[in-house]
Amino acid sequence: MIKMNEQQLAELEKDLNAIRDEVLADRGERDAQYIRWIVRLHRTLEVSGRVMMPFGFIPPVFVAATAALGLSKIIENMEIGHNVMHGQYDWMNDPSLHSQTYEWDTVCTSDSWRRTHNYEHHTYTNVIGKDRDYGYAVLRLSDDVKWHPGHLFQFVNYILLTVLFQWGVGVHELESERLRRREITWKSKLPFLKDFFRKGGRQAFKDYVFFPLITFPVAPIVLAGNIGANLIRNLWSSTVIFCGHFTQDAETFTEEECENESKGHWYLRQLTGSSNFTGGKWVHLLSGHLSYQIEHHVFPDLPAHRYPEISEKVQAVCRKHGIHYNTGSFARQYGTVLKRIMTYSLPDRMRQKLTAPQPAQVM
Amino acid sequence: MLARQTQNKALQWLGRQLFNRDDPAAFFDPLLEQVNPMWVQQYTPALVKQIINETSDTKTLVLKPAAHWEGFEAGQHVNICVEIDGVRHDRTFSLSSAPALWKKQGLVTLTIKRLPGGLVTNWIHDRLEAGTTIGLKEAFGEFRLPATPRPILFIAGGSGITPILSMLETMAADDYRAPVTLLYFVRTSSDIIAREKLEALASRYPALTLTIIITHESDEPRYLRESDLQAVPGLKARDVYMCGPGGLMDLAGSQLQNLGVKEDSIHKTFFAAPATVLDGGAVGGTVQFAKSQVEVSSEGDANLLEMAEAAGLSPRYGCRMGICHQCSCRKTSGTVINRITGQSSGPGEENIQLCVSVPQGPVSVEA
Repeated sequence: MIKMNEQQLAELEKDLNAIRDEVLADRGERDAQYIRWIVRLHRTLEVSGRVMMPFGFIPPVFVAATAALGLSKIIENMEIGHNVMHGQYDWMNDPSLHSQTYEWDTVCTSDSWRRTHNYEHHTYTNVIGKDRDYGYAVLRLSDDVKWHPGHLFQFVNYILLTVLFQWGVGVHELESERLRRREITWKSKLPFLKDFFRKGGRQAFKDYVFFPLITFPVAPIVLAGNIGANLIRNLWSSTVIFCGHFTQDAETFTEEECENESKGHWYLRQLTGSSNFTGGKWVHLLSGHLSYQIEHHVFPDLPAHRYPEISEKVQAVCRKHGIHYNTGSFARQYGTVLKRIMTYSLPDRMRQKLTAPQPAQVM
Repeated sequence: MLARQTQNKALQWLGRQLFNRDDPAAFFDPLLEQVNPMWVQQYTPALVKQIINETSDTKTLVLKPAAHWEGFEAGQHVNICVEIDGVRHDRTFSLSSAPALWKKQGLVTLTIKRLPGGLVTNWIHDRLEAGTTIGLKEAFGEFRLPATPRPILFIAGGSGITPILSMLETMAADDYRAPVTLLYFVRTSSDIIAREKLEALASRYPALTLTIIITHESDEPRYLRESDLQAVPGLKARDVYMCGPGGLMDLAGSQLQNLGVKEDSIHKTFFAAPATVLDGGAVGGTVQFAKSQVEVSSEGDANLLEMAEAAGLSPRYGCRMGICHQCSCRKTSGTVINRITGQSSGPGEENIQLCVSVPQGPVSVEA
């Protein structure tokens, strides 16, 4: 992370606050119309997916139904649930879009998410030991964690995590690594487990029991389609999220660096610890605008569809302060994520040998 | 924030299983309202049938609520919800029509005065159009007629006439057999709301004595006098119903007390948040909003809702005058003073309304 003195950090804070204030002053009708349109899109996709699914014995209908339901879950989780729970639309005073009462269509309870994501991850972003989202306690993604032979198989862990992502996020707050180390007791996790089983049970009941049962003669088709839709959502959302913080140039921080930090330092950490990827309008929409992860981490409670509009200004602030603005194509950014997962599964010596800069070729 | 909750336990259960919400029907609202705004389930939609000019600054909205609305009693009020620049606003207004109109024609009326600087009333006057819909909640309020006819004195000021209009219409229609007197105070003669209706009522309903008093057309303001009250036959035996600005209510209250009218026969309703004067030195404190992990300090009589908003939080809120309970929230410790009653809470855990609670020393709330 580039070193900035307190005066420079104060200047950075002022520059970013100015961008935020400009959006807040303009926030209103347009933002309300946007999120209402997204909610209509979600309802349309979910209803059409559910209605088409029993006719999935016709192969193209099966593909359309699964895709519609998968897309509806992606939009609900990414552009509605995640963003609403950040309080991006609290100002609308609409009970269906309020951060403290919204419950989303995934295993993780909204209460657990608000604690682990909104509070822990967004406050201690990429601080090793504090931000449990960095590697989700199952992946070694930097040399801050000591290597051990188990890490050799972490690509398998990654595949499992991405396929079962909603369940992984759901149990995240269990803090299994701390339970293993006996830093916390199972008893202290009972209330969490109760909520987890209730919500997880509800989600499984809906997609794997209720909808297949009411369409009994075609239950296997509906079950398969619903599993497919959940899988599509799991793969896409985990990929988007991994591209947000685990790309090659996304930095990590130590607890000491962040002790008593100023708001300016927090901003600097959000700018250097996050990474964007480029794409068309629909890529951004389906990622819940987390393709603008940098803008999101700097301004988590501004309506996300504003991020593309303020991106230029954030980049200008980065240039002014000499801060690297980490962006690239989706393929490039995701490639560096996979590379990070692979290389950090190796012992340090082997990794250093492999990734050392190659000597220049003599022409 | 007019959330209509289904009371059906099975529906609630199914809603939680399938849509992660207690009101499954409202899940479909975004689609339903595209087809017909009157099909919305989350709140009771009401079609604005007609907007009538009463005076230069007062309009009557004729509304047709969706059929599942549960109706009201004369004198009750209702929360409405309008959306302005993407933000939903709740406000409380008295129903000015008689319940009979709702029962016979499915219509209700609200008579709304433009308040200087008031966001919602100005929007209603300038922007609301017939043919659109607004949100409605169930009627509430204890400002109701006695079950058996008793002699009654109404004291109304300005737009405080609205719940009394509903009562008088109902009494005239039911031929309520007891003396009824209305003392109606307005600033100028052009401020009289529903003048024709009142005069028609007085002529067809002989029990009613109508006295309209203009306060600001003479050199000296002509406020309520004890002699006005003394002129009401059998004053001490009457139930008194008052609705109007704070000054009139206070004046009437003390004069009635002087004349020996018992306190428990006086019924009041406010149409603006009554600002009890709190001793500035005794209030203020540090408030901890636990969920958001924010601490805010205040000196003087800022309420918890204002403090939270000043700190960048957006708690749920509605009427902002202590009526609708949308901003209700659990206080875990500390003492707050209720702006409306002036009473201080206990120090323990209880539900409080953020919009009318002023901290007295350190306070913690779950918000």
